[in-house]
Amino acid sequence: MDLLWTISTALLLCSLLSILWKESDRRRNRNCYLLDFVCYKPSDDRKLSTELCSDIIARNKRLSVPDYKFLLKVVVNSGISEETYGPRSIIEGREECPTHDDCVDEVDDCMYRTLDQLFLRTGVSPIDVDVLVVNVSMFAPSPSLTSRIVNRYSMREDVKTFSLAGMGCSASPIAIDLVNNIFKTRKRTLAVVVTSESIAPNWYCGTDKSMMLGNCLFRSGGCSFMLTNDPSLRHRAKMSLKCLVRAHIGADDDAYSCAIQKEDDEGRVGFHLSKSLPKAAVRAFAENLQRLAPKVLPVGELALYAVRGLRHRLWRSKEAKTDAATAARVNFKSGVDHFCLHTGGAAVIDAVGRALGLAKYDVEPARMTLHRWGNTSASSLWYVLGYMEAKKRLRRKDRVLMLSFGAGFKCNSCLWEVLRDLNDGGAWEDCIRAYPPQTLVNPFMEKFRWVKEA
Amino acid sequence: MPGAPLPEFSSSVRLKYVKLGYQHLVDNFATFLSIPVMVAVGLELVRRGPQEMVGLWRALELDVIHILCSVFVIVFVATAYFMSRPRPVYLVEYACFKPPSNCRVPFSTFMEHTRLINSDEKSVQFQMRILERSGLGEETCLPPANHYIPPHPTMEASRAEAQLVIFSAIDDLIRKTGLKPKDIDILVVNCSLFSPTPSLSAMIINKYKLRSNIRSFNLSGMGCSAGLISIDLARDLLQVHPGSNALVISTEIITPNFYAGNQRAMLLPNCLFRMGAAAILLSNRRRDAGRAKYRLVHVVRTHKGADDRAYRCVYEEEDAEGHTGISLSKDLMAIAGEALKSNITTIGPLVLPMSEQLLFFLTLVARKLINPKRKPYIPDFKKAFEHFCIHAGGRAVIDELQKNLELSAEHVEASRMTLHRFGNTSSSSLWYELNYIESKGRMRRGDRVWQIGFGSGFKCNSAVWKCLRSVRTPVDGPWSDCILRYPVHIPEVVKL
Repeated sequence: MDLLWTISTALLLCSLLSILWKESDRRRNRNCYLLDFVCYKPSDDRKLSTELCSDIIARNKRLSVPDYKFLLKVVVNSGISEETYGPRSIIEGREECPTHDDCVDEVDDCMYRTLDQLFLRTGVSPIDVDVLVVNVSMFAPSPSLTSRIVNRYSMREDVKTFSLAGMGCSASPIAIDLVNNIFKTRKRTLAVVVTSESIAPNWYCGTDKSMMLGNCLFRSGGCSFMLTNDPSLRHRAKMSLKCLVRAHIGADDDAYSCAIQKEDDEGRVGFHLSKSLPKAAVRAFAENLQRLAPKVLPVGELALYAVRGLRHRLWRSKEAKTDAATAARVNFKSGVDHFCLHTGGAAVIDAVGRALGLAKYDVEPARMTLHRWGNTSASSLWYVLGYMEAKKRLRRKDRVLMLSFGAGFKCNSCLWEVLRDLNDGGAWEDCIRAYPPQTLVNPFMEKFRWVKEA
Repeated sequence: MPGAPLPEFSSSVRLKYVKLGYQHLVDNFATFLSIPVMVAVGLELVRRGPQEMVGLWRALELDVIHILCSVFVIVFVATAYFMSRPRPVYLVEYACFKPPSNCRVPFSTFMEHTRLINSDEKSVQFQMRILERSGLGEETCLPPANHYIPPHPTMEASRAEAQLVIFSAIDDLIRKTGLKPKDIDILVVNCSLFSPTPSLSAMIINKYKLRSNIRSFNLSGMGCSAGLISIDLARDLLQVHPGSNALVISTEIITPNFYAGNQRAMLLPNCLFRMGAAAILLSNRRRDAGRAKYRLVHVVRTHKGADDRAYRCVYEEEDAEGHTGISLSKDLMAIAGEALKSNITTIGPLVLPMSEQLLFFLTLVARKLINPKRKPYIPDFKKAFEHFCIHAGGRAVIDELQKNLELSAEHVEASRMTLHRFGNTSSSSLWYELNYIESKGRMRRGDRVWQIGFGSGFKCNSAVWKCLRSVRTPVDGPWSDCILRYPVHIPEVVKL
């Protein structure tokens, strides 16, 4: 009899222990740590000054003088400096007929330079990489870009590769989401993600205004970063992922077609940005924040928001003139210390800053990134992060929110927690001391003042 | 593999039975071990007699509480065990795109168009020879834009083709399963050669008004084996999110990829690639277990990109005249064979019965220690699978795999007939092949299916499925109107 009791108790204890062990194991391996990231710094001979931009635009003989003036105005008022980079094929005059090699070389240069540095800095060997994700929205050759990397670095046969394409400027959080999900199914996994954009094959050579903005604003850039869920590497990690929210409002036809690659009336392919883009952005943003706020904000702030909202609703008749947005606004700064905003353009950054109630200090990294690097699409978030790190703003336990928008229409965000005081210069190393500059005004404003005149 | 000298007939028969006996012994080892134990226990019981058994039971002094506790413990242990196992991933249903007959490209049409488009007589002759030996039939289809002379590959036409093939497949899937678009949690789309912005996944979200918190991924450039990469990704996502379903779309959009030059290695895709798409519904919900067709058992991915030869064998590049096309190297077969071998070394231990694995291991030891000249033992995969779906990349690929895996004509029939009826539809071909097997009424409950895909990179990916319920004919699918005509004999060369 006692034997039976002993056996049953032993079995019960074993099962209980095994369940607890599995649960704790799962929790330990649930984390997604950012080991390091390297932003791409192209060679200086690829710098695009405003003068060079104006020459390139002038090469398009189909443009009328008003169109030329419009484009120049966009460039001059964009908040982009003289130090941003463009693809070699465009600088050398082949923007209307880039060869396949031009396109491949542009992406190769970014991927290999950043990956070489990443492997060097982390001390990780390419053979140890388990998962490889590349996201370049507008160029997907065969074999895929992931295969190019596997070949170049002789990675293992069982490496899991994923080549994401067409996912727009907010593809970085999507790649992180992919890796994060894989981390939850396997232990001690190492992932490398490369995010970049391809400009050379996507230069628009027509006359449709809505498609020419891309030509003016997009610049060369990219980033490679390494993620792991191995708890033993935590002490070397820079940040840990806390949550990730993806919102896709593509179900709405206006939102889907507000940023779309298509042919113009003359059959030339370009990236069309419609006038309804800001509206779609606002909706996607709201959708994302609705789901993000409960995960990111402290309980006190959420309670305050609920109370304010209730009060606004109850006393609506008395405060009819009050702007609905200000009446029940959430203070995101109560749960987030730093904001990495997608550098879609000066207007985008300002609008997002206002919506979140951010001060000039908070949007400075995004504005400076737009100034120094231009709109580098999906990798812009990493340049913004690099700025914060180079300025030594990132301290242990700080929380960083990455927020980006992309074609589709999507708004993706992710929250990181800084694990240790960070102070790498990264791609900003040689110029961080000059930031923030006295003025963001384009130095050629004098020369191009005639542009502003009617 | 060089042939071994044939043994004498009588000794070979004896050998066959010895081998059979050995296989039964090793595979059912546990059963064979338990038989003597059970016999001994049974004998002991009979010897003691029923009275003693009752006395023994009374001596235990079990009252209700003890029994309840024991039952509770057993139930708890069983629950703990079942909860700790990975969630099963079910394939609820899938649908393949059936091209409309006005997109048909019989040989005569193809050759006529080629002659009108291409002024180089040598290229025309070359394409004719390829078509004659391709194993394709007269009913394969190209998208409307490719019917123009010369083809009209605009982005609008590419999107139109994508909408036609993908939406048809999804509509079919919705009709068969009653799936509500708002119910889809995960969306994975793979299309190698066409990746517009916004992505094809965004296009699907727009058309079917999917939820805003959907997890969507768009894979591109990953070649003909990308279908299984999507399945792999969907499986990982389903492991993490309980009670979810995933819609996987595998397709290849032909419109933008017509090669307009004369480089021979690049003309092959023009001859072989055809329109196709598949929509697959995966789920990990328990309520879907009852109506699911298959359960996903394994997915194994092998990437040979580290080897330069393998990496370059399917390569997109520009020819001397500036036309972009995909160049297929002459080593393709050899590389496919090597990639398959690598894949087999991983999947073999997971699926082969113990008898085969032991034989393989013993032969390996014998080769290493005793006689290096001894032939390597090729495990018999026919013991592990009832059905094989080999990517219908081309006749040569199917021939090579049939040889390597020692498969019979019936095993590769699905692949050959899919190549004949639909051409090389890239990543969706595996699903047309599976549908062929079902349409022929060969899919029974408990059958195991092995899907093997090859693609640029060079990758070899395979997936193993287990059939959960016998599929009854007639099957509603792309073969429904022509299955009775198949299998057809495909001559070595079709004289044009």
